[in-house]
Amino acid sequence: MPKKTLKQKPPTSQKPKKPLKTTQPPRIGVFICQCGTNIASVINVQEVTDYAKTLPNVVHAENMNYPCSRQGQQTIKTTIKTQKLNRVIVAGCSPRLYEPTFQTCVSEAQLNPWLFEMANIREFASYCHKTTPKEATEKAKDTIRIAVAKTRLLEPLKPIELPITKKVLIIGGGIAGINAALDLADMNFKVYMVEKTETIGGYMALLDKTFPTLDCSICIEGPKMVDVGRHPNIEIISYADIQKVTGNIGNFNVKIRKNPRYVIAANCTGCGECRDACPIEYPNYADMYLGVRKAISIPFGQAVPLTHTINRDYCIECYKCVDACGARQAIDFDQKPQEITINVGAIILSTGYDMYNPKDLEWTGYGKHQNVFTALEFERLILAAGPTGGKVVRASDGQKPHSVAFIQCVGSRDINHYEYCSSFCCMYTLKHAVMLKEKYREAIEVNVLYNDMRSNFKGYEEFFNRAQKSGVKFTRVKLENRRVTEDPKTNNLTIHAETENEEIVTVHAEMVVLANAAIPTQTSPEIAKILGLQLGKDGFFIECQPKIRPTDTSVPGIFMAGACQGLKDIPYSVAQGSAAAAQVASVLSRDSWSIEPLIAQINEDLCSGCGVCESACSYRAISLQRKGDKSVAKVADGLCRGCGICSSACPMDAVKMPNYSDNQIVAQIQAVTEKKAILK
Amino acid sequence: MPLRTTKKETDQALSLEWALHVRNYQLTLDKNKCVGCQICSLACPKEAVKTTKPTKTQQQKTQKATVDVDLAKCNFCGICDAACPYGAIKLTIDGKHELNVIEKQSFPTLTRDIQADPNKFPKNHKEAEDACPLSLIKITYTLPDGEPTENPTSLTEPDRSWYKTNINIDKDHCTCCTACTTKLPDGAIHVHKFITGKLKINPTKCSDGCTLCLDTCPITGTLYLSHQDNKIHVNEASCIYCGACKLACPVDEALELKRTSINHTPIRSGTWNKALERLTSPTDLTKELKTKGSQKAREAVRKRTMPEDQKDA
Repeated sequence: MPKKTLKQKPPTSQKPKKPLKTTQPPRIGVFICQCGTNIASVINVQEVTDYAKTLPNVVHAENMNYPCSRQGQQTIKTTIKTQKLNRVIVAGCSPRLYEPTFQTCVSEAQLNPWLFEMANIREFASYCHKTTPKEATEKAKDTIRIAVAKTRLLEPLKPIELPITKKVLIIGGGIAGINAALDLADMNFKVYMVEKTETIGGYMALLDKTFPTLDCSICIEGPKMVDVGRHPNIEIISYADIQKVTGNIGNFNVKIRKNPRYVIAANCTGCGECRDACPIEYPNYADMYLGVRKAISIPFGQAVPLTHTINRDYCIECYKCVDACGARQAIDFDQKPQEITINVGAIILSTGYDMYNPKDLEWTGYGKHQNVFTALEFERLILAAGPTGGKVVRASDGQKPHSVAFIQCVGSRDINHYEYCSSFCCMYTLKHAVMLKEKYREAIEVNVLYNDMRSNFKGYEEFFNRAQKSGVKFTRVKLENRRVTEDPKTNNLTIHAETENEEIVTVHAEMVVLANAAIPTQTSPEIAKILGLQLGKDGFFIECQPKIRPTDTSVPGIFMAGACQGLKDIPYSVAQGSAAAAQVASVLSRDSWSIEPLIAQINEDLCSGCGVCESACSYRAISLQRKGDKSVAKVADGLCRGCGICSSACPMDAVKMPNYSDNQIVAQIQAVTEKKAILK
Repeated sequence: MPLRTTKKETDQALSLEWALHVRNYQLTLDKNKCVGCQICSLACPKEAVKTTKPTKTQQQKTQKATVDVDLAKCNFCGICDAACPYGAIKLTIDGKHELNVIEKQSFPTLTRDIQADPNKFPKNHKEAEDACPLSLIKITYTLPDGEPTENPTSLTEPDRSWYKTNINIDKDHCTCCTACTTKLPDGAIHVHKFITGKLKINPTKCSDGCTLCLDTCPITGTLYLSHQDNKIHVNEASCIYCGACKLACPVDEALELKRTSINHTPIRSGTWNKALERLTSPTDLTKELKTKGSQKAREAVRKRTMPEDQKDA
């Protein structure tokens, strides 16, 4: 498979015109790596070196320990000079690891970096054939022979430079997106923040307190939301959907649909007089439907932008709001959806998560027993600005409960529902338990039925201790065979569970709170399709590399932050927001973005415009475009990953893959077949 | 607990509920009071209330149209409650009869202009109470000391001249049909109809001897079967133009109903304008708006009723 990595090379001003021609006969140098004992303990490196010397056009071969080291690189550079090498092969590890290092190394010795080739004798020979060193040595020889066959035909190339639009799009205005937006706006980049709902803030804006410090959530996030709202470099496009994204790193073209609020944002002062005049109420999603809002209203007091929205599903069109708004004339019942197009150089995806509705889990009794709540419902109950004014009361009789039980892992850590751990439930349950205990003290009994308590970040274990000291009872139970039953007379609840030793646990409570799973957003598959990204088995977006590139996606120029990549708490999301912002800044701060030239090239004279390549391309990098009187395939340089599928699909042989040309591949095949496996 | 929306139906009532943690909305249709007149359906701004003509098989049991409310469309605004001439639909919020649409002046109340003069009421309470076809008049008597008394005729002569007649009219359910005004002595009661209009029966279409409309009409004496031509005739003096008869009639165009105006508390509301347009006609709405001098609203009606091809001009 051709490899292609984005590299940060100093930008060069001119675009490649024609491939540079090499006129001299190939003089190949082969450097064989011992890699400590990784290679040398299995493969007879000296035998391989001697063999390499016998191959045609190889004028120099040597083995050394760690060519990737500074000393090793110096040796390569010197040998290029002394032996007048014009092709270099390093036989060692995977090109994914060190190819960029060696390319830089040879270019420092005035050799074109695409005249360098790597032969992988570690992963493909020493690692996988540890017990058969003789055969491994033969395989290493074969691998080098194949590399030499190709290297003879390598052509010098020039990197491709893409222009950069110095603007960024952030999809999703939760805490991760907010942080990324502020970082980038402060670096003087223009930021567009597209938010699906009426206000930015995400789930954090709906929380009462944050663990483990019990800081008021909106008091921390509110000022940041306001900063986003008034930053001259940030434009919030709320109540809007992403429709289509085309283009590539440096220049994405994004089509956005702004849904009608029926209120002209520029004229709305957020005074709320319309809301007071409105006669209609409907269940408020921001209150988890525990409370109501007016048909013209904002979802919560700290909403940004502070623009009211009319919900036409409930509005009865009495126009009392129009009268109340008066001379401000902010209300426009004729507003239509509006399509806008923006150009950006990079995109940050921060679409967050959704909450699982546990009504499918019959054992929980959720939706059936009135006093069973989800954690987020409880959050709105205990919140002073919530629908009950901060009073924790039961749904059945409006009374304060004397006992509350929390059940962990509802829907998550369950192979039939969501296999993963939702990561923040343990901590928010501790938060709820501590808040209840510190608010009502002895007047309330708090039970937590958990399976594993995961309190593994700064200050979290201490918080668990605080919960235990405050009198919260913790009972470890199995995730199987849990059941909530209700006494129909009192609406009190009983939880039946089992311990690991199969002892029966029975807990009575007047209110039950479920730590329901956090899940991928409903819109994730659609967003993935629009952006050309992949979703993992768990439904969250897949990162480029889970350990060292957690905020990169597989598409260059599209980064991600926060829970859309996997569930995480606030500090982690904030950190990822800033991380993604830094990555975007490293793109936008350049005048152009340099990519490896190993991408498809169309010979327009041969192209018949049949479109086979267009449908074969998984990266949507090829499109048919009119040129004169015929259509020809056109490759979007930034999107092409150099996989070569189009090249094999083309019936006219019009697609060329630089340095993966037919004659190079044929030469490699011939090198494999010219000498049969030695063991026969 | 998540938001619970429920819909229950019994022979007596249809009830819809939004149960939120902090609020409980309940809409109840009293099937005994409902006559199937369609006014609620026409007034509903969300097209949530559907009145359906009885099917052939249903006609055996009942003649009146059935009312159904779509839980998915209903927003518990209570306009059906405010509009029902029979007071058959009630909206309660947390158990209290509360109509925000009226309080915020988004919908008017129907003007039930009823004035009774106890002095001119007949001494016989049964006669007085029977004057209302819907039995909404209740007469009680009290002695000077405030003691209620059952039957004043049994009182001794001095007491009899002192007793007080109390007339209790259930105004919430009164249709203002004015039937009582003709049955009671002159000047005893003054009632103004809140709906005016025209009801005509086409004798050529009306089936001989069919009394489905007559059986549906709650106001006795408004419709009658003439022995001369064996057809239904209408006495518009007590007709409230509710339209229950029209829905009960199995023959198209046998009954012709036209409402022209609705007497209501003064209001400026788009919801009402649209409801009025459906209840009467665009022309009648324009008339009302003209009286109110609401040029802007009148223009909106004109635009809306204009044929599609002329709209851009």
